[in-house]
Amino acid sequence: MSDLDDFKATYFDECSELLLELEEQFAAIEEGDRSSDRLNAVFRAIHSIKGGGGAFGFQGLVGFAHAYETLLDHVRDGRVELSEPVAALCIRANDIVADFVAAAKDGTELEAGYGAEEKHQFDALTSGDPDAAGEPMEEFDIDFVPVMVTIAGAEDDNDVVAEEPLSLAVLDDAFEAPPLAPEAGHWIIRFTPHSELYARANDPLLLLRELGTLGDIKVRAVLDEIPALADFEPFGVYCSWEITLSSDTVTEAAIAEVFEFVEGNCDLSITHGEAPVAEEALDAEIEAMPSFAELMAVEDEPVAAVAEAAPTAELLSFADLAESLKPALKAAPPLMPPPLKQAVPAEEFEGENDRRSGAEDRRNGVQSIRVDLDKIDRVVNMVGELVITQSMLTQQMDETLRARYQELVRGLEVLAQTTRGLQDSVMAIRAQPVKTVFSRMPRLVRELATKTGKKIRLETIGENTEIDKTIIEQLSDPLTHMIRNSADHGIESPEKRLAAGKNESGAIRLSAEQAGGNILIAVEDDGGGINRERVLQVARDRGVVGPEQALSDEQIDQLIFAPGFSTASEVSDISGRGVGMDVVLSNIKKIGGSVHVKSWTGKGTRMTLRLPLTLAVLDVMLVKVAGSPYVIPLSSIVETIQCARANFSRMPTGGQVLQVRGEYVQVVDLASRFEMTTEVERDNRFVVLCEAEGGVKVAVIVDDIIGQQQVVIKSLEENFQSIEGIAGGTILGDGNVALIVDVQGLKSATAAHKSAA
Amino acid sequence: MESLAFKDDISGSVAAAANSLQLIAFSIGEQTYGVEITTVREIRAWNGATPLPNTREFVRGVINLRGTIVPIFDLRARFGEGQTSPTKNHVVVVMSVGEKWVGILVDAVSDILTVAKTDIHNVPEGNSIDTELLNGIVTHESRMVGLIDLHAVVSGAKMDS
Repeated sequence: MSDLDDFKATYFDECSELLLELEEQFAAIEEGDRSSDRLNAVFRAIHSIKGGGGAFGFQGLVGFAHAYETLLDHVRDGRVELSEPVAALCIRANDIVADFVAAAKDGTELEAGYGAEEKHQFDALTSGDPDAAGEPMEEFDIDFVPVMVTIAGAEDDNDVVAEEPLSLAVLDDAFEAPPLAPEAGHWIIRFTPHSELYARANDPLLLLRELGTLGDIKVRAVLDEIPALADFEPFGVYCSWEITLSSDTVTEAAIAEVFEFVEGNCDLSITHGEAPVAEEALDAEIEAMPSFAELMAVEDEPVAAVAEAAPTAELLSFADLAESLKPALKAAPPLMPPPLKQAVPAEEFEGENDRRSGAEDRRNGVQSIRVDLDKIDRVVNMVGELVITQSMLTQQMDETLRARYQELVRGLEVLAQTTRGLQDSVMAIRAQPVKTVFSRMPRLVRELATKTGKKIRLETIGENTEIDKTIIEQLSDPLTHMIRNSADHGIESPEKRLAAGKNESGAIRLSAEQAGGNILIAVEDDGGGINRERVLQVARDRGVVGPEQALSDEQIDQLIFAPGFSTASEVSDISGRGVGMDVVLSNIKKIGGSVHVKSWTGKGTRMTLRLPLTLAVLDVMLVKVAGSPYVIPLSSIVETIQCARANFSRMPTGGQVLQVRGEYVQVVDLASRFEMTTEVERDNRFVVLCEAEGGVKVAVIVDDIIGQQQVVIKSLEENFQSIEGIAGGTILGDGNVALIVDVQGLKSATAAHKSAA
Repeated sequence: MESLAFKDDISGSVAAAANSLQLIAFSIGEQTYGVEITTVREIRAWNGATPLPNTREFVRGVINLRGTIVPIFDLRARFGEGQTSPTKNHVVVVMSVGEKWVGILVDAVSDILTVAKTDIHNVPEGNSIDTELLNGIVTHESRMVGLIDLHAVVSGAKMDS
């Protein structure tokens, strides 16, 4: 059964992609884009989720998706207007579908009746009758007659059956030719779909099942139109059906109603009592065919092959098509051998019909494979170690060696380039657009808006910016906290906003951009800004800030990241428990990033996350302080200056500032900051000018600069705890540990020290 | 302290394995201490450590243990007897404390002891550091062996805590 598990995993992967697409489409729909492409995409997504769900027997999911799909179908046809409430209902339905999928994935049970209310609303909208609950589609089983088709011109040596695994359920009984002789009170319906019918993702099977609810039906597929294989057009429609419906009560209007949805997309004739053409001849023909069981016994293997090629029930409607593609023709050889190719265009046929626009490029242009993330991680780790070994080798080359072994030097240079290239390529594999986490936020904002009674719009910008997948995974929590914070504390109530002369609905803007070796992710709101007085008051009350301590506005803003800090006077569902922003800070620090907040009173707040592009390898400058190695991330270094040439000035309190290019910059002597003694003379030391968050510079004084290299970040917290001013550790080529200087931490800690003094 | 009949004979206490405890014993100066053998991951010679800023004096720094960074605690300094001046002959005992791995710098590892659980004595009230850092006391060859409480040893490593 592990195969089935594989299929399931694939299905859930696809579901998450489809759910993402749903969010995207509805984001556009909410903005007023009502084009039919959008709706079709939504319909296809739901249809695919439903189809797969049916194959794995996720009843709840299928039931709900079916009702939802029906509504979407009505909307698409214009029978239900896509008004605001309907759009809102659809968006809620997406969330519910997502919950169903999640429950199915985790094997958990949703509470009984989950989504029932929405389902009821769908039914009310689609039928105008709130009591007619969406009927589960599995209830009707129609006696399908499997028939065999031989396509003229088929080659004998290809012997794959264009069979579809799903039809097995319908066809599990031995073949039996049902009489099509007309009975009392019967209707003959001739139904010939046009290609548009399929293009609109309608499914003849559903129509036939619907007919089945009216009375006993016998269905015969008319296959005379099927051309020679050479002329076979994969998207062509060659099949029509003749249905005999036996019922005394059914009216022509009732039958016509079944086909109402596809009116204009098919030829339909409904006649009463008349005998179908060449009844007996047909019977004889059918009897001449081998039984289905026989067929299956011989064709077992190829069928399995096709089954593998089509793992999910996404091909539901194709099942029926394939089924009816197997009728006998006069010159039927005992076992039909449509060539292998048959299966391929067949699959694409469905693909085209079912997910035409978006997926088209995916199928035709970009080729991709799914790879287990673990496998990629292993490669990434090894490449990381390779890079370090390479830089260690390079370090071993001293001048004498260089002069003596020029070939070796050249080899090492090529090795350095190749490793760098390898590393970039591997990183590119792991890179993912931030869209994957951004797309979860619209739902969050909707829920928050409902809970808080505020009106909130979410804008996202730059969602195609790519970051390492491991970082993306770590982003979800911090972003959730930040958006909650914005919605709860930032955005004001509609009344307050109107009073302040703002738009009634608040805006939260989520943006991502790449800046050098970093990714900047910002959450901005146009709310009231941080209430600094209140923040400071709470901070003093809680002892986060001493009573005498004076803080700048910027320092007060950063206080919201202090552990256990919350200004909310009431603890709400959403925030106010004081676990939140400090979690953001610690999570972001853990992945080597930093957080900065800027607030404008009455105008809004912006929180910026600065994240490394990748976690695996960091470009650093290796320095020495009091005999110990430290590294400073290259991305934060502006320049280095010899102390002898630097222009220091003394501040009244004894501190120092560095004058560089007309700017005065705060000076941090790492040795004294880390309470270590150094014997290196001041003039022989170096200034490393770094840029901290928000463009603020800080001049870090170190004993010596050793060089640049790449390192792998190792966590200090794994076995110890975080240390102020240190962002983590790394292992050098000689096996020793070097500490990574946290420039941002140094700067803010120093600021606190100073103001405390 | 009461005098006890100690049970050092390992072969004699095999049967009582469930009720006994195996200890790794190490020395700080003249005094012997022990930790349960199951917590010990590795014993290695002192080979320097990268000092960590803003930590208390008993945190000697961090070492690279096959790709992970492990902090080293100076047990002598933790007992308030001043920092050890380590040589190549000093020993780091790497242990797991909960999820974390830590190294303890000691003078030497002396023995493996098997003691019955019933022979573990409470630490007499008195100095709070003793009661805080020791889980109990056992007697070995009529000398006291303090059972180190690892959680207590590694706590409070930061400057401000």
